[in-house]
Amino acid sequence: MIELRGVSKTVPSGNEQLTILHSLDLTILSGQYLALVGPSGSGKSTLLGLIAGLDSPSTGQIIIDDVDITVLSEDALAKLRGIKIGFVFQFFHLMPSLTALENILIPLEISGVDDGTSRARALLAEVGLNDRENHYPWQLSGGEQQRVAIARAMANDPPILLADEPTGNLDSANSQHVVELLSKANRIRGTTIVLVTHDRSLTDHADATLSMRDGKIARIQGDETGFWKEVNQKEGQPSY
Amino acid sequence: MRRGFGKRSIKKKANLAINHMGFIFRMVFREIRTSWRRFIFFFFCIAVGVSSIVVLRSLIQSVRTSLTAEAKTLTGADVLIQTQQPWTAEGRKIIEQTLERVGILEEMESIDLTTMVRSADEWKTLTTVVELRGVQSGFPIHGDVVLESGQVYFHGMLNESGALVRPELLTHLGIDVGDKIIIGATKFTIRGVILSEPGSRLGAFSLGPRVLIGYKELKETGLVSMASRARREIALKIPEEKIATLMQQLKRNLRNEYVNVRSYRTAEDRVTETLLKAENYLSLVGFVVVILGGIGVWSVTRVFVHQKIKSIAILKCLGATTKQILATYLMQVTVLGLGGSLLGVIMAAGTLVAIPERLTHEAALATGLGEVSLGLTTSAVMQGIAVGVMVSVLFSVVPLFEVRQIKPFLLLRWDLISSRTGLDWTRWGVTVLVAFMLVALASWQAASLEVGFYVCSGFVGITMALHLAAVGVSRSLRPLSLMSWFPLRQAVKNLCGPQSQTRMVLLVVGLGSFSIIGIRAVQVNLLQELALEVREDSPDMFLIDVQGDQVVGVRETISAQSQNKVPKFIPILRARVVGVRGRELSVDGFEEVRRLGSLAREYTITYRDRLEANERIIDGEFWGESSAASPEVSVEASLERRFGIHVGDKMRFDVLGRIVTAKVTSIREVDWDDSRSGGFMFLFRPGVFNDAPHTFVGLLKGPSELDERASLQRALVESFPNVSVIDGLSILKTVKRVIDYVALAISIVGIVALLSGVLILVGSIAVTKFKRLYEVAILKTLGATTRMIMKVLVIEYGLLGTLAGIIGAVGALILSWVLSTYVFEIRWYIEPLQILAGIILTVMVVGLVGVLSNFDVLMDRPLATLRTE
Repeated sequence: MIELRGVSKTVPSGNEQLTILHSLDLTILSGQYLALVGPSGSGKSTLLGLIAGLDSPSTGQIIIDDVDITVLSEDALAKLRGIKIGFVFQFFHLMPSLTALENILIPLEISGVDDGTSRARALLAEVGLNDRENHYPWQLSGGEQQRVAIARAMANDPPILLADEPTGNLDSANSQHVVELLSKANRIRGTTIVLVTHDRSLTDHADATLSMRDGKIARIQGDETGFWKEVNQKEGQPSY
Repeated sequence: MRRGFGKRSIKKKANLAINHMGFIFRMVFREIRTSWRRFIFFFFCIAVGVSSIVVLRSLIQSVRTSLTAEAKTLTGADVLIQTQQPWTAEGRKIIEQTLERVGILEEMESIDLTTMVRSADEWKTLTTVVELRGVQSGFPIHGDVVLESGQVYFHGMLNESGALVRPELLTHLGIDVGDKIIIGATKFTIRGVILSEPGSRLGAFSLGPRVLIGYKELKETGLVSMASRARREIALKIPEEKIATLMQQLKRNLRNEYVNVRSYRTAEDRVTETLLKAENYLSLVGFVVVILGGIGVWSVTRVFVHQKIKSIAILKCLGATTKQILATYLMQVTVLGLGGSLLGVIMAAGTLVAIPERLTHEAALATGLGEVSLGLTTSAVMQGIAVGVMVSVLFSVVPLFEVRQIKPFLLLRWDLISSRTGLDWTRWGVTVLVAFMLVALASWQAASLEVGFYVCSGFVGITMALHLAAVGVSRSLRPLSLMSWFPLRQAVKNLCGPQSQTRMVLLVVGLGSFSIIGIRAVQVNLLQELALEVREDSPDMFLIDVQGDQVVGVRETISAQSQNKVPKFIPILRARVVGVRGRELSVDGFEEVRRLGSLAREYTITYRDRLEANERIIDGEFWGESSAASPEVSVEASLERRFGIHVGDKMRFDVLGRIVTAKVTSIREVDWDDSRSGGFMFLFRPGVFNDAPHTFVGLLKGPSELDERASLQRALVESFPNVSVIDGLSILKTVKRVIDYVALAISIVGIVALLSGVLILVGSIAVTKFKRLYEVAILKTLGATTRMIMKVLVIEYGLLGTLAGIIGAVGALILSWVLSTYVFEIRWYIEPLQILAGIILTVMVVGLVGVLSNFDVLMDRPLATLRTE
């Protein structure tokens, strides 16, 4: 379970502080599929990065499986990500110096798994790229690179998978493939999925869609059975 | 149960640690697999430095090994007893008694002196100074005399006026084996050519080639009694275990005699110590080159970390800790440093193989060694590798610390890379630690903490100065970026832009050109000064061992040969201080004087009634032309400073066995740089030594024509066989040659430094090429032609070369000024053409290397590059 309590983010902008995420409470239950939508600059990616522990919030707590990650050191956060969180980026972010197979091996090796090669191969097969294991990222198409990135994110079988516009850089056929992979992970493995997207096909599979605007949650669609809530702290009460 | 669980837990932890190490090693392998090309030039720099260290250390170690193995041959005996004076009856008695008591195996006497030799053939007019040695039949006690003919040496060769000579003598006099030469007034037949002989003084300055004759024959020439410097020697062979006892007894019993006793071990110790020092100092040269490579490593690591920001962020996002990432990159640097060092060792091995065998053979013979086998020594290789790896790691640690600052969040928001603010104490701490380690490393190489500290401080000083100069000149370029001409504007932007390698390249290339131009400038200054000395009316021919009754004759011979040439004669005696009774210092007897160190040495003294042009009285009064009843002496100022000898003190001298007590009546300052008038530490008032046996030294400005010089020498030697004529011009020639050699050696170091600079330049072009390719692709898309981009490159690297050349030239001028004014104390002289040539050479090297390294950028098609970006 992921819990956000009073989480906000401000960044310095010239001599002033710019709030890119207003104070927010949110609970995401295990196994849920949540889509974050909204115009560019609305705070979606910031929220995703905070959940992944890639950045620290200006206020509030983020609790993942009873651990407050806001008090963890940079290295402890890295270790937590290695075990619990998989991340998929819009621009794939594969290591250019490693082959497809090696890119998938990295999280396994970092977490000290004995022989990760067979698992990495199985994942590569799962994303349909078993004939590409010795190819470097620059030898793969965008869609193939994103499939390797998804396999890499799932290497340690993390309970949480976060994705930042995973189909944002892909054509429709490749997007479809990625959509299927993510929803399969959610359906079969029970992976909690939080993703930022503009892609309708991705929101279609989501249990709920959160629309964000100006650093706040503007609207909710889909399942509202209480697995999330938003509080605008300025007004001191729920906004819905 | 608990124990079992504990064991499993420990095993699990151990497994995890192994797996983590496995990750680091695998990452190192993967990174090197794809990015080794970017590092190759920098590790060439390390290789060049390491190979310098390995070559220099191996060379000297090989020589040292051969020397210590042949210490007995080099000394020519187990124990040597030497004196510069005739043996006294008392001394001989002590020696005989001591030798009898201790028991010796063999004994051989010899005499060494400097004299003139000429061909017996009347038509061959040349004469030359030689180092003559007369030996008894026991020669050599250790080692062999190697003859050119391959014949085995036996004493009979020297019987009946036989002589063995060095090949240089034959060449110089134009004679051959079987011909006759005249030594003193005696004719000797040349029976063979010596290639090497035991007991030749290693590395000692020699006035001429060796001539070996029989001991009896040498005494019969009559030269021994007239020579001012004849060295008499008794060489002994004794059982190893008795050496210490014999040395101890001889030293004790002969303490009041003018006798020096040494064993082969003394020589071995001295040679070993000298060579060890030489090895350590020379390897510092290599160390400096490695440091230059280190600067390259530092620079590439900085760029490398910058290029790897994304990969590092990805690794952190995937769960890697900062420690793991740091360990990965440090390991990578270590592996590459090791690779560079091994390459350096291979280069060193190649260099040693490339040294022609003939050269080592000749060098070995010249130094009196049988054979020197050159090869890599284990210790040199290990030291080279250790230095190479440590410098690579030390120079990359600080830039690698940037890894700590990289946040994984930038994968989501690239625009949010925050620039660091405030001081990073850890990084500063590491920087200080690295500085300490470098001082330690330099100290280890020099085997002296002090030297290590000075080398590092000097390096930091020069680097800072060059860095500031580089910052200054690159700033001065900025206004040019406002010019309307596109290629110039673009070139200046490339040079002054963020991440440009300008300052670093200026620093290293500037350092290279600085050393080369600087050394050339100093060399020119020294040679210029020498030429000035020769031009002036200073003497260039020195007549040694002129006897009192020969002075008039020698003067007449000279004026008969070359008119208007008047030699100046200076009476020469040899004396030792055996007591001082004065205000500050009071010592009695030679034993007490010996404790004062150099005051106990044998001094060359003279007497005259006037001061020379280079002398000045600073205390007391100088005597006039009248002679005094009691002896008076004028003392050189440095003796007053060092030993506290003042005006009014009484000094006792032993002059050829006669004790003379003289009163110090004045303190003189001598300008030692003014060579025309010579200089003496003790100058006596005329009178006391007028009748004592002594010789004269004649100073003469000889004829400028070589033929005339030769015939004057010949005429002098024919009439006065015991007089040696030393030709100052040939000594000057030797000095000039030595200066040339030293300058060449230092220039080679400068060239290596410049080479490192060029490698770093190529490397910095290689690491930033991606950026350049991208920029050029955009420019081409916007309509820039290849020709225009070529112009940009030529201007950019031309400017870079000009700036590096100017920095080097200015540094070189400062260096040559400091050295000329404060070290050599000579006039400072600038050769503008040479400085200009240095700058032009730097511009050409940098320009050519820059444009050629970017050739593929010019040829690249823009679409492919833009797609991959």
